[in-house]
Amino acid sequence: MKITTREVVFGLLILVALLALRGFWPTVKAEKIPSPTVKVTAIDSTACIAPTEYMRSHHMQLLNEWRNTGARDNRPYVTADGKKFQKSLDTCLGCHSNNTYFCISCHQYANAKPNCWNCHLSPLDKP
Amino acid sequence: MNEERREFIKKTSFGFLAGIGVTSGFFLNFLMEKTDTSIWADKSIAGTIRWGMLIDMRKCIEGCQKCVDACRLAHNVPDFGHSRYQLEWLQKSPYHEVFPTSGEDFIGKERTGKLFPSLCNHCAEPPCASACPTQATFKRFDGIVALDYHRCTGCRSCMASCPYGAIGFNWSEPRPAIKALNASYPTREKGVVEKCNFCSERLLKGKLPACVEACAEKTLTFGDLNDPKSEIRLLLEKNQTMQRKPELGTLPSVFYII
Repeated sequence: MKITTREVVFGLLILVALLALRGFWPTVKAEKIPSPTVKVTAIDSTACIAPTEYMRSHHMQLLNEWRNTGARDNRPYVTADGKKFQKSLDTCLGCHSNNTYFCISCHQYANAKPNCWNCHLSPLDKP
Repeated sequence: MNEERREFIKKTSFGFLAGIGVTSGFFLNFLMEKTDTSIWADKSIAGTIRWGMLIDMRKCIEGCQKCVDACRLAHNVPDFGHSRYQLEWLQKSPYHEVFPTSGEDFIGKERTGKLFPSLCNHCAEPPCASACPTQATFKRFDGIVALDYHRCTGCRSCMASCPYGAIGFNWSEPRPAIKALNASYPTREKGVVEKCNFCSERLLKGKLPACVEACAEKTLTFGDLNDPKSEIRLLLEKNQTMQRKPELGTLPSVFYII
């Protein structure tokens, strides 16, 4: 049986096509992205999110960041040691409202007037 | 162009394409850059959930205010006691206010004579979010049209753009106007707008919205409109439902059976 040039070219074409398709193999093999679900993050109020010294000097930066991102980004705040917290003032007040004067005692001394309590209920306002 | 040149261009371009195909086969990651997908693990992708509500008016009892009261209590909604400053997240309104363009004007008092619970429709195409100059009003990943009060400048563009009048403005300090203060939710301050948030703070804890929970008649059904097996979707399939002002193309997520 005589193989014509045409058949050889056709065969080569199929080979080239198959080799080209091989380029997509990583896509086929790729790990499927798990379908996202709403995660319920329980408020962990057993420990503070950072060492006391850091919180004393930097709580305003942290709260400012939470205020700016909390409403839009549903991901919880992750501490350096991997604990997750909901970005909410209630996360802090879950523990710290035990002391009614926790916020105001320092703020009054430092003459700091944060506008948090215009809307949020301070431990002093809570019935 | 002579025939030979034409043939030459055809053959070389074919050869070039074949060359690319062969090389991509030899070098597996030639075209594909590897991406670390783990960074998206915690982030919900927009559009996977769309919270919605179905209000079955056949079950709604006239004169009952349980849902309205539950909403007021859950979110510290002020009661300014004057119709001009009145502000509601959820209210019961007459038919001609809720469905002014329904085209079903003379269908009988037993269906249109009631007061209809009306709230923010959490539109899929929210005009308020487009109108907000500071992006304080925005559409969340789960379809809820949320309001970040920290960003609100009180310009009231959203109120002007909302075709349902679902947004209210605090003309004076709201805290004294709150009858029963709920310590678990913040209040607002003078000069910001406010509206229904579909109880996103309760959804976070796995609870249903306060109005849905308060209704003993099960008038309100809450669920994910993107899940074909959810209760709300099954009810939507079986019943003839209405949306408010559908002709505006805002695609409300609140449906009514009247």
